[in-house]
Amino acid sequence: MAIDLLMPKLGLTMTEGVLLEWKVRPGDAVARGQLLYVIETDKIATEVEAEADGVLEAQLVAEGETVPVGAVVGRLAGSDEASGAKPRPNAATEDKIQVSQPRAIPASPVSRRGDAQRIVATPLARRMARAHSLDLAAVTGSGPRGRIKAIDVERTLGEPRQAPEKAGAGNAIRAKPSATQAAMARRLAEVKQGVPHFYLSTEIEVSALIALRETLNADATAPRLTLNHFVLAAAGRALRDHPNINRVWSEGELLAFAESDVSMAVETERGLLVPVIRDAGRRALDAVAADARDLVERARSGRLSAADMTGGAIAVSNAGMHDVTWVTSIINPGQSAILGVGSVRSLFRPDAQGKPELRREMGVVLSADHRVHTGVEGLAFLSSLKAYLETPMRLLRQI
Amino acid sequence: MADTRYIRAINKALADAMDADASVVLMGEDIADAGGSFKATRGLLDRFGPARVRDTPISEGAIVGAAVGAALGGLKPVVEIMFMDFVTLAMDALVNQAAKSRFMFGGQASVPMVVRLPHGGGLNAGPQHSQCLEAWFAHIPGLKVLCPATVEDAYSLLRAAIDDPDPVVFVENKALYAMAGDLPEEPARASIGKARIARQGSDVTLVTYGATLFNCLKAADALASDGISAEVVDLRSLQPWDKETVLGSVARTHRAVVAHEAVRSFGVGAEIAAVIGEEGFDDLDAPVGRVGAPFMPVPFARSLESRFIPDAAAIQAAVVASLA
Repeated sequence: MAIDLLMPKLGLTMTEGVLLEWKVRPGDAVARGQLLYVIETDKIATEVEAEADGVLEAQLVAEGETVPVGAVVGRLAGSDEASGAKPRPNAATEDKIQVSQPRAIPASPVSRRGDAQRIVATPLARRMARAHSLDLAAVTGSGPRGRIKAIDVERTLGEPRQAPEKAGAGNAIRAKPSATQAAMARRLAEVKQGVPHFYLSTEIEVSALIALRETLNADATAPRLTLNHFVLAAAGRALRDHPNINRVWSEGELLAFAESDVSMAVETERGLLVPVIRDAGRRALDAVAADARDLVERARSGRLSAADMTGGAIAVSNAGMHDVTWVTSIINPGQSAILGVGSVRSLFRPDAQGKPELRREMGVVLSADHRVHTGVEGLAFLSSLKAYLETPMRLLRQI
Repeated sequence: MADTRYIRAINKALADAMDADASVVLMGEDIADAGGSFKATRGLLDRFGPARVRDTPISEGAIVGAAVGAALGGLKPVVEIMFMDFVTLAMDALVNQAAKSRFMFGGQASVPMVVRLPHGGGLNAGPQHSQCLEAWFAHIPGLKVLCPATVEDAYSLLRAAIDDPDPVVFVENKALYAMAGDLPEEPARASIGKARIARQGSDVTLVTYGATLFNCLKAADALASDGISAEVVDLRSLQPWDKETVLGSVARTHRAVVAHEAVRSFGVGAEIAAVIGEEGFDDLDAPVGRVGAPFMPVPFARSLESRFIPDAAAIQAAVVASLA
């Protein structure tokens, strides 16, 4: 019995994934549990193992291709005891597809990478491209598996042709992005263009926070706390106080989360990863800090799992270690808000009498999805966060 | 005559053919005294007498064998096999004798015989009384295969089949017998091998025949409300079939789905899809879809049979898939 190998769904909001790499070739025998292929979502790369012994019959999706969740990426000719594996549905795609709305299957860039890569295009699309001397490598396919259809050729013919000469480019070098870069570029562009962002910014006075942190860190036996640990705990608590913020827009519906999860942006060699601290609003500061340290460590060593990256409505992106005042971020795909945190600055502000007062301030910017949040809700969340950080002893309270 | 039932159109075609040509004779089980299991020959015994309307023993091999001999001898027999399923017993006469005679006698002999075969489900008649086996005969050089969907075609194509000098397998869907439709006073003569565009459309071509025509039209209506314009081609004749009309339609719509009640595997749809793939390749903007019954015997139970026979929803889904 042949088993279909599918693009798995790794999170509630995952709609598609990139097939990053095949680990076996057609004809290779594989054992149950053996690594078959690596996929990547907007959040993580993860490995898919064989659910049964068998022989890889076909790779139906090329490396670097983006396909929707549930798409068949390959086929394993299994042995009879291949229980637990998903049997191949015998009818065609049937009820999976909705007619009335634009197709969910995204365009995948079909590019020529050496002679080995075949361009998938319908016969009509090929004939039209021939007639117009159009190189199909320049066309993005919108059909299943990125198949180029007539309409894609028409669309490309309608666009102004790209100037073949890189006029004035000097010594510039043109390079194809990696599959990861391409996926990230596309996802970010989708979010920035498709999600109506609004921004709220404020300064937070952090003298008390810095003092508290110094006091706690004076205990050399306790793990060190960073400012970001306080911000993550405060964001969790503010989220708990304002559960409306803890929602995301998902396929036309509002999805409300029960746990006060807070994601944190971690810069790694593979790019930005955004693992989740579970229920940061209901756990002790030390527990939040311990999770954060563990996630950063695993993100940098490439040991995050898909589950580590799934869920949460809000992320914290802290650039405070650099010299930056305002960090105005793009919302992480699948979430509805992100808090950009800048560096701490010393400055004078007039006090009640108009005399200069030395303050230490940290700029924060909340980027929020206006489909989900109102300005009033965003402000309420932001002032709650500000209150926790300006009166940081509250973060130590038993919950 | 508006509101003529399909079975009446068959009856009238037989009667008119017998009036027009004294060499037309009818043979079959219970067709004379009883007027046929489905009453296709009702009243014909009284009108044309027992020499031309003959009840036969329950032996399909004997009936068709006798009919082949009668046809070689100059008569124009029209045989009724009660259910298409029973034709298995007549295969030698049909496939090895009737189909081969013109070729083997160097064109000096012909078998102007019609074998009427009621096919199809919907009557809860089970695995041995519901099959659609027309693909078997379309595979045999020397046989023509017709399958009319409409009342007018039932009349006109049966007249054409009886007039044809070679053996014709005439397939009638039992579920259509009670269907009423328009039968003109002077029905136009049909020519074998011509399809009819039953509905015009621009986005996809639905190729079909027999009772599935009506499910295709239903699917086309539903698709229209989604803004998808489906053209429906009623083949009417499966062997020969009207390649020009089908390929011409696909050249306009660039997508095709072939639908029939017969089991999908190795069915008529496979041949048509293959020819579209070969000769219409450069016109295609999507793989050719096929809709047919699942690969299993026809179930008895009403609940199962209604799921077995491809309905409008299945056709609609295949069209949507071809537009992906």
